[in-house]
Amino acid sequence: MKSAVFEYALAGSLDEAVELLAQHGPEAKVLAGGQSLVPMMAMRLARPSWLVNVNEIAALKGCAPGTGEASGCWVTGAGLRQVDAERHAGLAAGVPLIAQGLRWVGHVQTKNRGTVGGSLVHADPSAELPLVARVLDAGLVLRRRAGSRVVAAAQFFDAPFVTAVEPDECLAEIRWPVWTGGRIGSAFEEVSIRHGDYAIVAACAQVALDEQGRCLRAVLGVGGASGTPIAVEPVASALAGTRLDESDIEAAAAAVGGHLDPTGDVHASVEYRLHLARVLCARVLRAARDRALRA
Amino acid sequence: MAEKTSPYGFRYIGAKRRTKEDPRFVTGRGRYAADVQLHGMLHVAIVASPYPSARIRSIDAQAARAAPGVHYVLTGEELCSQIDSLYIGVDAPKVKRYPLARDVVRYAGEWVVAVVAETRAQAEDAAELVEVDYESLPCVVDPEEAIRPDAVQVHPDHGGNVLFHRRFVWGEVDEAFARAQHRLSFRARWGRSATVPIETFVALAQWDAGNEIMDVWASIQMPKFPEQLARALRMPANAMRVHFDVDVGGSYGVKRGIKHTLLVCWLARRLGRPVRFLEDRLENMRGGDMHGPDRIFDMQVAFDGDGIVRAWKIRALDDVGAYAGRSPLQLGKPVSAICGPYRIPAVEYEPISVMTHKTPQEAVRGFGQSPTNFAMECTMDRVARFLGMDRVELRRRNLIRHDEFPYRIPSGTTYDSGDYHAVLDKALAAADYPALLERREAARRAGRLAGIGVSTCLEPSGGNSSFEPLFNPKNETTTWMDSCLVRVDLNGTITGVMGTSSSGQGHQTLVSTVLGEIFERDPSGIRVVHADSLNALPSNSPVGSRMAIMLGGAAAGAARRIRDNLMAIAAHNLGVAASDLEYRNGDISVAGQPDRLLTWDQLVEIAHRKYHCMPPGMEPGLQAQFVWEVPTGGTLPTADGQVQMYPCYSFEVHVVYVEIDPDTGKPDLQRYVVGHDCGVMINPDIVHGMTCGGVAHGVGAALYEKFSFSDEGQLLAGTFMDYLIPSSLEVPAIDIVDHCTPSPLTTFGQKGSGEAGYLGGPAGIACAINDALAPVGAAIAQTPMSHLALWSLIQAPRDAGQRAA
Repeated sequence: MKSAVFEYALAGSLDEAVELLAQHGPEAKVLAGGQSLVPMMAMRLARPSWLVNVNEIAALKGCAPGTGEASGCWVTGAGLRQVDAERHAGLAAGVPLIAQGLRWVGHVQTKNRGTVGGSLVHADPSAELPLVARVLDAGLVLRRRAGSRVVAAAQFFDAPFVTAVEPDECLAEIRWPVWTGGRIGSAFEEVSIRHGDYAIVAACAQVALDEQGRCLRAVLGVGGASGTPIAVEPVASALAGTRLDESDIEAAAAAVGGHLDPTGDVHASVEYRLHLARVLCARVLRAARDRALRA
Repeated sequence: MAEKTSPYGFRYIGAKRRTKEDPRFVTGRGRYAADVQLHGMLHVAIVASPYPSARIRSIDAQAARAAPGVHYVLTGEELCSQIDSLYIGVDAPKVKRYPLARDVVRYAGEWVVAVVAETRAQAEDAAELVEVDYESLPCVVDPEEAIRPDAVQVHPDHGGNVLFHRRFVWGEVDEAFARAQHRLSFRARWGRSATVPIETFVALAQWDAGNEIMDVWASIQMPKFPEQLARALRMPANAMRVHFDVDVGGSYGVKRGIKHTLLVCWLARRLGRPVRFLEDRLENMRGGDMHGPDRIFDMQVAFDGDGIVRAWKIRALDDVGAYAGRSPLQLGKPVSAICGPYRIPAVEYEPISVMTHKTPQEAVRGFGQSPTNFAMECTMDRVARFLGMDRVELRRRNLIRHDEFPYRIPSGTTYDSGDYHAVLDKALAAADYPALLERREAARRAGRLAGIGVSTCLEPSGGNSSFEPLFNPKNETTTWMDSCLVRVDLNGTITGVMGTSSSGQGHQTLVSTVLGEIFERDPSGIRVVHADSLNALPSNSPVGSRMAIMLGGAAAGAARRIRDNLMAIAAHNLGVAASDLEYRNGDISVAGQPDRLLTWDQLVEIAHRKYHCMPPGMEPGLQAQFVWEVPTGGTLPTADGQVQMYPCYSFEVHVVYVEIDPDTGKPDLQRYVVGHDCGVMINPDIVHGMTCGGVAHGVGAALYEKFSFSDEGQLLAGTFMDYLIPSSLEVPAIDIVDHCTPSPLTTFGQKGSGEAGYLGGPAGIACAINDALAPVGAAIAQTPMSHLALWSLIQAPRDAGQRAA
């Protein structure tokens, strides 16, 4: 469990980091919290020739309401520690799903190191933050030497552990849409074998209700049941106009499976994952509705 | 720190006192084998087989030998010709086993080549350059397939895959089955799990060419370790110096590491440099040979309508993997408690040990007893369910009564003492059993799956080796002694010397407490050290839950010898008979005349300096050794396999409340109470710590942990991503209630407790899970009871119900 030989660079700024990526491109990996990358390197499953450490870059640790083209969003730096995101009162008020999802991530010790951006770029199909980003359709700002571009989460996750990030790009910040209008509630739930494990299946939902309790807007997503986190948009949009009563929710949950493509392993079969997706989608819709009604 | 007085009337034994070891562990001052850094030390990395069964056509190590920092590349071809095969517990001389494979590999992960380099990283880099050409061969991974005569053979020279097979019949089993009103049979499966310590195996060897001594520092917990090493290396045993004074970072059976140590010893002598092998987790999980029992139980039970069990038959098929070490004997320990804590007059036991193309099995906490207890307790619950009888009442009717001890069981062992009904009552009271029943009913009314488990299980302790002659008639071992050397130096301080390593059991606390008790001197000032193997008295190491009994007894025996000498010195100098003297806190005075006194310091000075004041013929100085035979040991098995096994029997009751989410299959242990009787507890904190750890281990075995293999023989759980150890968030709060039935066989009435919590835990959890599943008509008798397995069981009757509707 010693990693293969690599060169190491501690980037002092984002400019320096992307300069290094421009030079070493496909051979390089960005080191953020290292909670996935370092064990993979130790097992020699990942063998970058260059490691670009971005942990010292202060500009990657921001957490504030967006301005300009990011207005209407909360903006978190890619290097923001997960623990800091989870405990940020403003972020929790603006985008509560982030903290709700982070509750299920690893343990305090891993969240002290793990970063928001690292989890997104790692793109484990069972991970919590990619699911939240996908369901809310967050904007991911990718920096390269020549400039930057914004990729919507819907276009970001390509396959297990594969994203739209090009070899010379570094995720700089994430723009999380803040919902306004109506009474808003959200919920995240998952089944993992032990607390802190990657989910067997995870689900999250966010709804906005009008004063009469009628659904104005809903989003719903499932992790761990396909190669990427899935936002079941047709199912969620069909909830608009309903009162999210038990039959609405059961119908939505039952329809989710058709959008998923799970695989089986020693811990969970295909049938089990599909079943959990249905159960968890119903639970998060109920919980999100109830929170919205209390809002 | 507050010292509470002993509840047993002793001065130090049983009193709540801080342990000697824990401060250094919690302040990061432990000294483990990996902390030993020798000048010029080289490092080993392993090239392991990716195939479960293959012929090695050729090995090309040229590139590896030329890689930076590499000193040596060792193949099985070279090594095996110069050493002897490792020791095997049963009579199977053709099942040869070496540290590195030669010609064929028999499991995925088996060591093929060892690369030695300046650093471990360089060794790993070079290991990647070794090219091994394999010819894949058929493999057998299913133990039931492996026992068939036409199965693929793991060791063709042995002739079949069965290592051991015998049917023991004790008592009139068939008659009891014929006469009993009811019979039940079912199959239980115990999944392959282990203890998986945080510290993997570490071995460091240095060849002292000047003295021709091999120095070894290794994380071991193993009887006869230096002798086995020396024999395999074809060296005199007195050239093997194993340093037992390193802290071992967890074991509970698995820290055998004989092949690891053999490898580094050979390399150290060959290269003239110290060589270390520090296993990484991947090497440990698939090639460290530390997997535990992997068993199929076929249980048959005969009983009457009143719930009285008349007889049972246990067939246990154990998959030991590709090689035999001590593992076939792991079917032997259960003979010592083959009827559990119950009054069952007739028992049949058919152990079968079979080899497959899997990672070899090694000893794991309880040496096969926890799986057996699990199968027995599932049996008792099924009997109760069949009869519609309360499971606690069923146990009460079958448990051996307090007034029946000592109690001889059909397999020839006598249980020393116990008060099972009292411990059961205490545990149920502590759990508030009536309230727990109400809680279960309320949960069920609310549509949840809720269940209570009550297991009543034995912990055989004081490990002797009776299973060795029982499973191998060529082995006539009838002693598994342990020893202690005690010294009182010129300055009057006391030192106890033990001859084996410790892996967290608290032996320093144990010995110092016992010495303090006998000498009436404060244990906190008593030092306890580990001799190296050339200085050590005989020991069989802390296996089989034996050290409180055996090391404790030996320490007391040695201390009493010194105390007797002190009395003789005092009698000689005070001019009275020893019987007229009083010993108090190390000072000795004439009874009734406290001013006619010799103090501890004066007595010590006489012994060390004033030979003219010594009784004639007495040896100067103050030192004594005591080598203790296991109580009740010393006899061979009878022809029909009756034998006195372990001397002492601790008892534990687990009361477990579980709820299972019916929609996800997720179990939640919400209440956990253990009633425990291990006789006199020498240090209650250590016993309770062992018990809590044992429960956690049991939670893992019951619900989470399994070394799964694919049908093709590949290990599917080779990292902690897939081998799931429960964390503090999965282990519930544990309440322990103590009871004390002293053993009549031991120095202070103590029994063993190193397997506490684990021996009854999986059984209790299984009983709770099955109680929770009962309302949906499902039952489970396998470990681990995974989320997936539970969900599938809950789902099956629902699906059937839907189809019916």
